[in-house]
Amino acid sequence: MNITQHEPQNNNEYRGVLIIGETERGNMHRVAYELLNKGRGIADACGENLSCLVLSTENSGCEELCKRGADQVYLMKSPVFAAPEEVLFASNITAFIREKKPAVVLIGATHFGRSLAPRIAAALETGLTADCTDLRIDEEGNLEQIRPAFSDNILAHIKTINRPQMATVRYKEFREALPDENADIRIQEIPPYIAEYPDVTIEKIISIGDMDITDAEVVVAGGRGIKRQEDLALLWELAQVLGGQVGVSRALVDAGMASSNIQIGYSGSRVKPKVYIACGISGAPQHLAGMKESDLIIAINNDPSAPIFAVSDYGFIGDLYEIVPRLTERFRKKGGCHEV
Amino acid sequence: MNIIVLIKEVPDMEKVKFDSERGVVDRSSAPAEINPFDESALQAALDLKERYGAFVRVLTMGPPQAKESLGDAFARGADDGILLTDRKFGGSDTIATSRTLAAAIEQETYDLILCGEKSVDGDTAQVGAETAELLGIPHAYYVDSIELADEGRVRVTIENLCGNRQQRTMKLPALVGVTKNIGKLRLPSVSRKLESITKEFKTIGLENLPALSKEDTGFPGSPTKVAKIEVPSVEERESQIFREDSNAFESKLEEIFTERGIIS
Amino acid sequence: MKYNNITPQLVQNLQEAIGGDYVITGKERIEAYLFDEVEKTYRPEAAYDSIVVKPKDTAEVSQIMKLSDQYQVPVIVRGGATGLAGGCTPVVDSIIISMERMNQIEEIDAENMVAVLQAGVTLMDLLEELEHYQRLSFPVHPGDEGAQMGGMAVTNAGGARAVRHGVMRKHILGVEAVLPNGEVLLLGGKLIKNNAGYNLTQLLLGSEGTLAVITKIILKIFPKDQASATIVAPFAGIKDACHAVTDILQSGYTPLAVEYMDKRLFVDTAEMMGLKWQAQEGSADLLIILSERTQAQLYDAVKAIHEICERNNCLECLYAGKEKEQEELLLVRSQHYELIKDEICDSFDMAVPVSHVSDFILNLKKLVKEYDTDTNIVAHIADGNVHNDILYLPDGTIPAYADELKHKMYELCASYDGTVTGEHGIGKIRTQELSDLKKPAELELMKGIKKVFDPKGLMNPGTLFEVE
Repeated sequence: MNITQHEPQNNNEYRGVLIIGETERGNMHRVAYELLNKGRGIADACGENLSCLVLSTENSGCEELCKRGADQVYLMKSPVFAAPEEVLFASNITAFIREKKPAVVLIGATHFGRSLAPRIAAALETGLTADCTDLRIDEEGNLEQIRPAFSDNILAHIKTINRPQMATVRYKEFREALPDENADIRIQEIPPYIAEYPDVTIEKIISIGDMDITDAEVVVAGGRGIKRQEDLALLWELAQVLGGQVGVSRALVDAGMASSNIQIGYSGSRVKPKVYIACGISGAPQHLAGMKESDLIIAINNDPSAPIFAVSDYGFIGDLYEIVPRLTERFRKKGGCHEV
Repeated sequence: MNIIVLIKEVPDMEKVKFDSERGVVDRSSAPAEINPFDESALQAALDLKERYGAFVRVLTMGPPQAKESLGDAFARGADDGILLTDRKFGGSDTIATSRTLAAAIEQETYDLILCGEKSVDGDTAQVGAETAELLGIPHAYYVDSIELADEGRVRVTIENLCGNRQQRTMKLPALVGVTKNIGKLRLPSVSRKLESITKEFKTIGLENLPALSKEDTGFPGSPTKVAKIEVPSVEERESQIFREDSNAFESKLEEIFTERGIIS
Repeated sequence: MKYNNITPQLVQNLQEAIGGDYVITGKERIEAYLFDEVEKTYRPEAAYDSIVVKPKDTAEVSQIMKLSDQYQVPVIVRGGATGLAGGCTPVVDSIIISMERMNQIEEIDAENMVAVLQAGVTLMDLLEELEHYQRLSFPVHPGDEGAQMGGMAVTNAGGARAVRHGVMRKHILGVEAVLPNGEVLLLGGKLIKNNAGYNLTQLLLGSEGTLAVITKIILKIFPKDQASATIVAPFAGIKDACHAVTDILQSGYTPLAVEYMDKRLFVDTAEMMGLKWQAQEGSADLLIILSERTQAQLYDAVKAIHEICERNNCLECLYAGKEKEQEELLLVRSQHYELIKDEICDSFDMAVPVSHVSDFILNLKKLVKEYDTDTNIVAHIADGNVHNDILYLPDGTIPAYADELKHKMYELCASYDGTVTGEHGIGKIRTQELSDLKKPAELELMKGIKKVFDPKGLMNPGTLFEVE
């Protein structure tokens, strides 16, 4: 086991905020812009630098990171970063952190980020707080990491006694930092520390299309009130005229009526669309955890006492099988703003 | 092949009640169960056992009563179980938990370690990858299919990594975190269930783990500290509820959707 | 009997009595209040010129009854409308009393283990309320938790759990009832023993709304069991399965429920739901649901019942201990209807002594073969209560032999000293069967009782007996 006993750390050696930028199909994942927004605030509060590390095959979007607030971007460029693999990425990032000693490391809680960050934390023997919803600096200059726990029943404020202080943040948790066209562009290209890891061989990359429900501006979601799998078509029709996606509550996934890819809730995806239409969803805490941050929440349920109404802006007490087709018809006539 | 399945006992999250005044979970309010994602890991192990032949050992860290979950796993076809339990393990954060698990795993023979992609109570998804790092072995998360490949490797398919499915092979030993899609835990037979009630499992405490010092585990071994627990105020929206009059509801939506640029 | 139409004057009086918001008129709006869950093809023909009223309390019910009496317009009481006998469908123009607003849980008396409920409280409301008490529950479960307590009382509802807990009438200690002339009676009370005169409470239970309106119920509640499990026990054939059932009943390890369904219904329903039915072998599967005070008692019962099944040549039995796993099995059992509902044109609720149930089922299957058709069997098998059906022809029409086949099924049932309805009731769809089943003397007594309560025949006409 690689438990290496380090000398007691001198926390003062660690300075600045480091953000790990992730590229997805050649583009910078937008969670990086959100991290820059939060990271900038933290760096300013400490009077320290905000830097970004990107592992990529090309110079993908590094300038944009500078425009959106990074004082310095490090681009570790190599063909070996063509496809994501945890050991190779983590060992390079770990080596970089050992050298640069940032006080704070922020990583987007994407699939890859959630898989990668713990390896780095374990290698550095430091703490890692998952899925923070807020980050702030306390009076002593420590990072206070705030995360919901137990299906959002509590907010835990967590501090890390070691350095760096590492946290992951869910996509769409913070607002994006806005670009400043006049910002200084400071990009430094560096070679990888470790350029191969033969124990893992990537055989195939299969595109899964743009089905990401977390990006949808409108989500029409169905729950227990949907009686049969075919009936989800009613929701798809409404989603289509509104240019949106269909999501489901856990009940439908558990009943085998829908895939967990489109499950919304604590154990599924968290979404924050402009409009969320909950059809036949009672609003268990598990589900609310995944959608209550939506800009506008509309609930349709035949149970007036359904908790979903308490978190909704507009509600209709009635049969979704009647009202949903009526809405579809009405908005089809209006024509959605979106090509479908 | 020797497979170790990491399982965590969690409260049934749909049932568990929360004491918002004290900021704690009332664990007596809901039965404990195997973390649903770990159930899928167990099923994946049982499927591999059926296909290739394997010795499946489940490992859990928790209070003494967590042996119930080992019994459940045994009933469903696991060959054996190990319970890591010690008051000195209490208060472990993810890295301290991972160190403790890694120390126990190092004492066993293993080719493949399986776990669920996350736990429903902690939801950090960190322990698997941290354990793999500490053991110095590769890992993959979000895996929905596993098969053996040549040259002592395992082939896995990852559901989504950076927007793509990815198929990779990893040299064994390796750790694989699975999604629920890999399979649903099957029911045990009644006979095996009855057998499991009296089944005993090996219990390991700190003194049985020479590689681990008491500074590595439990509260002392945890670099993250909970500074404060806060009960968030529930954001109640100003709900406007329509009943029966669907026209008024439709018109309101039309108005607000137009205002917000959802429809033209 | 001559009934009057609903006049504007009556409507106005009703509006004055209970408020204009709660009087619903117009064919389109009342349509939602006309039917229960009987298959469309066998629904009684509804009287669309009826009117719906939604009283908030007993006093308002009493006023409605007085108006019904004064105008000689019949009254139908509508609960959760989960019935399967057309009981809440008006067949002459009627005042439909929808009980939904009378949904107050008036008291949970934990000391006496009694609940006092308004009739419109749904089973779901009650179970949710009892959740707050942790140690309390109510066992009778007709399948649909939207059922209201008043409806469950007047139909004497049963359901799967009758094996252990019997049917609704076992648990009702008293009721508040409004007679057709508007008089309010309180019958029974929170008493376990009560031997004063005829038991009118029990007379109202199972009366299907033909005698009085039940507005309040005093219900026995029970300590909650702490441990439960469901065994899936497959057998090579139904004879072995049924023999195991009678052995289990004799053993004293009484299950909460024992459910049987044709194997293909388990397999195909599970598939429809995206699941896999795990008992692959065998052709007759039992779901044996156990519920005990403690885990240790549960394991004892599992062991004993498993041994009985083994003695009766069961194949490998499966164990569902987690609540979610048990719920999933039950869901497969209850969702089978979604699978077959478009295939069936009539369905039945016969019950025979439990010792005859395997012969009854085998002979039903044999009988339908003569007509070159099939029948789906679903049974609360330890109660001898069998639900089977007649299928449409492949072209979707009702077969010409439907009536003949039905009567042959009833004859078969009668040959085992069975009944035409175990739990769903006579309602409006089995009145002929009732008069065929009962001796004239018994029928006359029933009609006499009806006359004592309801001399003008205004309560739910067409139920139990044809409209004269």
